[in-house]
This record gives sequence, C-alpha cells and structure tokens, in this order.
Amino acid sequence: MPTDNNHMSSLKELQELVHEKFGIEASALDPNASMREKGFDSLALVEFLFAIEDRFGISMSDEDSNVDTLAQLSTLVDKLVAAKAA
Amino acid sequence: MNSVVVTGLGVVAPHGDDAQAMFAALMQADSAVRPVFPDLPKPAAAALVDFDESRWFTKLQLAGVDRVSQLAVAAADLAMRDAGAADDVDAERIGVFAGCGMGGAAALEAAYRGGGRVPPLTIPAFMPNAPASHVAMRHGVHGPVLTYSVACASSAVAIAEAAKAVQRGDVDLAIAGGAEALIVPGVVLAWQAMQTLATFQPGEAATAIRPFATDRSGFALGEGAAFLVLESAQRAQRRGARCYAALSGWGISSDATHLTKPDPQGQSRALRAALRQAGLAPRDVGYCNAHGTATRIGDVVERDALAAVWGDALDGLRVSSTKALHGHLLGAAGALEAAVTVLAVARRELPPNAHTETVEPACALNLVRGAGVAAPALDAAISNSFAFGGTNAVLLFTRA
Repeated sequence: MPTDNNHMSSLKELQELVHEKFGIEASALDPNASMREKGFDSLALVEFLFAIEDRFGISMSDEDSNVDTLAQLSTLVDKLVAAKAA
Repeated sequence: MNSVVVTGLGVVAPHGDDAQAMFAALMQADSAVRPVFPDLPKPAAAALVDFDESRWFTKLQLAGVDRVSQLAVAAADLAMRDAGAADDVDAERIGVFAGCGMGGAAALEAAYRGGGRVPPLTIPAFMPNAPASHVAMRHGVHGPVLTYSVACASSAVAIAEAAKAVQRGDVDLAIAGGAEALIVPGVVLAWQAMQTLATFQPGEAATAIRPFATDRSGFALGEGAAFLVLESAQRAQRRGARCYAALSGWGISSDATHLTKPDPQGQSRALRAALRQAGLAPRDVGYCNAHGTATRIGDVVERDALAAVWGDALDGLRVSSTKALHGHLLGAAGALEAAVTVLAVARRELPPNAHTETVEPACALNLVRGAGVAAPALDAAISNSFAFGGTNAVLLFTRA
C-alpha cells in the first residue's frame, strides 16, 4: 500500500489518539512500522479500532483489523471519512 | 504428604498494598469504609482501593484488562516478590489458584451504560477467569491456572485447592488467592436490593459495620485482591525461605439446604474437617477470623457453628470479624482474611472486632473488643468463609 504521509489528513489525529489511549508518543511509533511489532497485540488493536470509529464516526469491517501500520490505518480512515462525506 | 507453608503475602486492599501496614491499621481499628455514589437513591458505603495501575501496566497493556484483573496482577506480583521464590521453579510446576465471585463488573457496567456502543473487549475483560489468566501471563505460569467462583468462599476454596496441589506434589509453588472489584452503581444497587448491606446515618459510614452486635444491620462491600505463595515445607526450608505460617488444615463443606440462608451444621462440618486435618483439638486454636458479615441471621448461625464444635472450649477462642474495617470483599474475602489470619499467627497479634458495643446475646463469643491485642501464646488460628450457595470453607494456619 502506498504511504505518502504528507497527504494523509487523519494521521496526526491517529497519532494523538494513540498517545491519548496508549500513552505512546508519535515519535515512538513510525507510521510505517508494524504496530504488532511495537507491542500492540490483537486485543489492543481491536480497542484502537473501536476508538477510531468513535472519533471519526465511521464503521470499520473485520478485515480492517488486518492493517498493521498507522499509515495503512490512516489511508483507510481517510477513505471511509471521504465515503461518508460523499 | 508434603506439609504446606506460606512464604509470600501480597495484598491490594482498602488499607493499602503493604500487608504489614494493613495489619497494623486493622489493629488500630482504622476503618476503610466510606460513603460512595451519593447520587444513588439510598445511601451506600464501601471500602475502595486507592490503586495506581501504572505501577503494573503500561496503557497499552491495559487493553481489555478490567480493574479486577489489575488488582489481581498487582497483589500476586507483590506476593511473588515477597516470597522471592520463582527463580528456580519450572514454569510447569507453578499453579495459579484464584477466587473471583463476579468478574469484571466495571467492564459490564460500561457496556450497559455505553449508549449502545459496547466496547469490543467487554467479554475478555468481564470473564471471571481473567484475573487468574493475567496473573499467569505476568509470571509465565505453565501449570494449572484455575478459577474458583464460589461466592464469598471463592478465594478460601482457591487457597485450599492450591494447598492440596502442593501437598500432592502436583506443583512446587502455588500463587493462591483472589480478587474482586464490583463497586459500581449497578452492582451496589443489586446488593442493596438483597437487603444485606448495612444502613447508616450521614457521617457514620466508617463505623456502620458492627459484627455480632445487637444493632448490626449488614455489611459494606469492599474491593481488592490478596494472594499467598504456598510451597512445601521441604522446598521452603531447602531454599531458606521465610515462612509466615503453615497451612495445616482446611475444611470444605456444603449446606445443601438453602441458596442464601446459612446452616450451622454445614459450617460445623467444615470447621471439624479443618481441625481433623490439622490434627488439632478446638482448644488448640486461639483465634478465629470470623466470616462475620454482621447480618441478622449470619452472625447467629456462625456463633452456633463455633459453639457446636468448640463446646466448653468456646471461651478460649478469641474471635473478630475484620469485615467491619475492610468491608466484604466477596470473592476476595477469603484470601484477604487468610492474609490477616496468617499475620495474626506470625505476629501473635489479634485484630479487633470493631464497632460492636453491645454483643447480641445469641452471638455470645469471646470477641476481641476495642483495639487489637497481643496473643503471645497463639499457635493456631482459623479463617471462616461461608458462601451464598451453601459452600463453607475454613482455613487453619499454625506457627511455622
């Protein structure tokens, strides 16, 4: 998946959410790093997706829990937010 | 058969997370019961734990971990550190035996109150065996990891079952105790509806629990966790461990008469079984940490059971219910009160039966009145835990 961070509108907000919910600074989690390798197990990811849904007013599917990086998540969130606005 | 000793204690209790300091506070009759939830229709009081979860968990580790499991992990960790015992034990030879009456009450409450948005980890947070599993994961335990949900006897049963496993040689080390954390509005309302919680005037919550008194009106809920580390006496001696006490006897019985009404015969059977296993006569036991919930019926039945077994020796048995001070921890009560009883034996001191001015004649017992007292001749003590559902558990500790 292409990951051009500069064009992701939701990335900063996701980084803030990670900090707020899990106490992890944006600088400590490379947007292109595997979140699983950074200590997010499947349960933490599920909770994170739930919080993202709340924050952005979107609904994510089960397959969406397969994403592994913040950058991928951001792309997905942007797509869902755009679809909601359309 | 191996004899079983207590080599570690860990509590996360309404009186703090230092077991010795907690005992000292109990000796001073320092009550941890306070008013809670002022918005509820009826006044409520409970004994809460002042808990800083960040000492044991990162925020990332807290995903799906209810308060009840957080308290369990903390108390078990303190017990293991106290015992200093895990380094040379094969992971498959360690067991976790945990009591829990309800499970993750806060997770369930949040699900009900979430306005239709139910957190996805409500189930793993709520399940009653989560505390034991989190303890096991924290310590890499590969042996039996078991949960006992036997209402107010849960963690006393867990400790007895752990002792059996150590005695049989199934495990070399057992982390045994329990956790409960259900002080949320929905659960408090349910307990109020059950008519077992003490009533109190404004400003008098701290002294509202008066076990065995003429004016008793029930208990206050408490939350917390307590764990003991149990090992065989041989292993403890080999590694030069400090032994607080020996767990010399335990008795488990069932009333099989009524779901919530206690039965003196059933309780007597558990008391006799504990004495028999320890090879002691009633007169050998100097202290009873009573179940003592301060309910109208419960206290009389417990007194009748003690009288039936102790007979002429009843006056020689000093009795107190420390629930007056730390509340009723339900599934964790047996473990917390086991820790109190272990310390009573180790320190030869008896915590008081607080707040009771006039003893109910039908509850005539040699209560420890006022503040705690020294008991220089104390060699053996029991802790009673009698559950809704009719299961009775008695643990008997002796000087190590």
